[in-house]
Amino acid sequence: MSMQDKLEQLQVLRAKVQSGGGEKKIAKQYESGKKTARERIDYLFDPGTFREIDIYAGDATNNPSEGVVTGYGQINGRKVYIYAQDFTVNGGSLGVIHAKKICNVMDLALKMGAPIIGLNDSGGARIQEGVEALNGYGEIFFRNTIASGVIPQLSVIMGPCAGGAVYSPALTDFIFMVDGTSQMFITGPQVIKAVTKEEVSMEQLGGALTHNKTSGVAHFMGEDEEHCLYMVKQLLSFLPSNNLEDAPCYAVRKPEMDSEELLDIVPDKPQKPYDVKKIITALVDGSEFLEVLPLYAKNAVVGFARMDGQSVGIIANQPSFMAGSLDINASDKISRFIRFCDAFNIPLVTFMDVPGFLPGTAQEFGGIIRHGAKVLYAYSEATVPKITVILRKAYGGAYIAMCSSSLRADIVYAWPTAEIAVMGPEGAVNIVKRDEIANARDPETEIERLVQEYRDNFANPYVASSRGYVGEVIDPRDTRVKIIDALDALSSKQEIRPRKKHGNIPV
Amino acid sequence: MKKYKIVVNGETFEVEVEELTTTLPTQTKAAATTRQAVTKKAKTQMTVHGLNNVTAPLPGNVNEIKVAVGNQVNAGDVLIILEAMKMENEITAPIDGMIKELLVKKGQVVQSSELLIVIE
Repeated sequence: MSMQDKLEQLQVLRAKVQSGGGEKKIAKQYESGKKTARERIDYLFDPGTFREIDIYAGDATNNPSEGVVTGYGQINGRKVYIYAQDFTVNGGSLGVIHAKKICNVMDLALKMGAPIIGLNDSGGARIQEGVEALNGYGEIFFRNTIASGVIPQLSVIMGPCAGGAVYSPALTDFIFMVDGTSQMFITGPQVIKAVTKEEVSMEQLGGALTHNKTSGVAHFMGEDEEHCLYMVKQLLSFLPSNNLEDAPCYAVRKPEMDSEELLDIVPDKPQKPYDVKKIITALVDGSEFLEVLPLYAKNAVVGFARMDGQSVGIIANQPSFMAGSLDINASDKISRFIRFCDAFNIPLVTFMDVPGFLPGTAQEFGGIIRHGAKVLYAYSEATVPKITVILRKAYGGAYIAMCSSSLRADIVYAWPTAEIAVMGPEGAVNIVKRDEIANARDPETEIERLVQEYRDNFANPYVASSRGYVGEVIDPRDTRVKIIDALDALSSKQEIRPRKKHGNIPV
Repeated sequence: MKKYKIVVNGETFEVEVEELTTTLPTQTKAAATTRQAVTKKAKTQMTVHGLNNVTAPLPGNVNEIKVAVGNQVNAGDVLIILEAMKMENEITAPIDGMIKELLVKKGQVVQSSELLIVIE
């Protein structure tokens, strides 16, 4: 064989691998509203920066790329590793070499300290390869766990992801799903029907909306593949490449709102709701706020933004949904977000307006005690800069939980509208002044008078600030300047904790 | 083009849904414009996920009903004020449509996830 022949042989092999599962399969992929693995990679990476690895691994003729494309490249100029399952090749099924390729690229990402993205589009384990394929999943799960908190791990579900396969995304930091074309479930509709007699469609069981709204498994939902991958890029812009670095700094942009508008958002009547996201967007750079889990547990708002060009993690109570109370799902959402930010050196800014933990048997039976405890744990454990702004209500245990000074918030600001107390005026008056009310000639007027008295005396930020639990009562218009100033002052923060293997968060 | 079979009150409809491609703004390093995760859904999704059913997010007292059967509403419109946790919580329409059923009265106490309104 001459050199020319050998080159031709290489060309043929290359073309074969590049073409994935072949024209027919690709046409079918398009028909179901999906793109090929390589097209997705092209969209995600800066042009010409992607380098594929393990190109000829496995059976290049019958199983090009072994159903998964792996490699690295640059996204907005920063190195990122990726694996993209190719549904056109035997349904993207996971065999031994498929799993090895994924493990290999994960190991590289961990060694280089760069984020890893997994594009999931696979029918599941390659049954012919039996227990070895299962082991492949196990190897991936182990690596996900070891890499957790070291490099950001993002999973994008762009097709089926069922059975054991769901646990790799579940172990990563964020899950993105494409509306209409992605599903995640442990057992499919047929098995469910056989076992529990429930009838449920694939979309209803494990579609993007289900996991973004009902289960809280997925954090972001894209209208289509491009929108989904666009959000991946957007999220990456807020994150450092690993736990030893800081997030990239961007040029400072002013919020699109005037700070005067902050005076009109919180209603005078404490019974009136308002949208806390208006306050967030009025304070952050360019009014750009990337909300995480926007459809799940809407009584809490979490997400990424920048202040003075620097990434911050924002946590807020949302008075316009369920009065902004803390329940099981909100506690879960908040605590996991705090831990991500803490692991990746992203300062926390908390906006508090919380009436308390949600009462009820459903909450108590569901274990609100241990779920709520996660919020306390996560805030206490976090050593990144912690800034808290009390907007209005700060009552009881929920006040302590939302990053009060007791949990080592570095700086607590309060708006003049803040009410910080053990409980709301009505509840407090009914307990403390029970006798006075009972003996009053007109109990209703008496209650009204006592509530007002309580509000004047206790439901304000000044009692808490006189005791040192609030650092400063600020003009709402100064909030952005104050936070930026505090972030600057806290940039050198170091906090040493006792040595331990790891704590025991009440998961 | 996607085909869906939808059953409404026992009557079967075949619906074709065409997906329109949206052009995304190209992202530059410094200027990533905000795009909120989108809540707007194709009609099929609404029935699949019961978005046309408005339920109580928390237990409370129906303080005010702002709509009547037959009213047209847009997504985001306030339908009911539910007093709970000493807050006048606004229950808003999840989708555009017509109020088909109103299942609660003013002053009524409702439990969490109780059905309040059905939108068509």
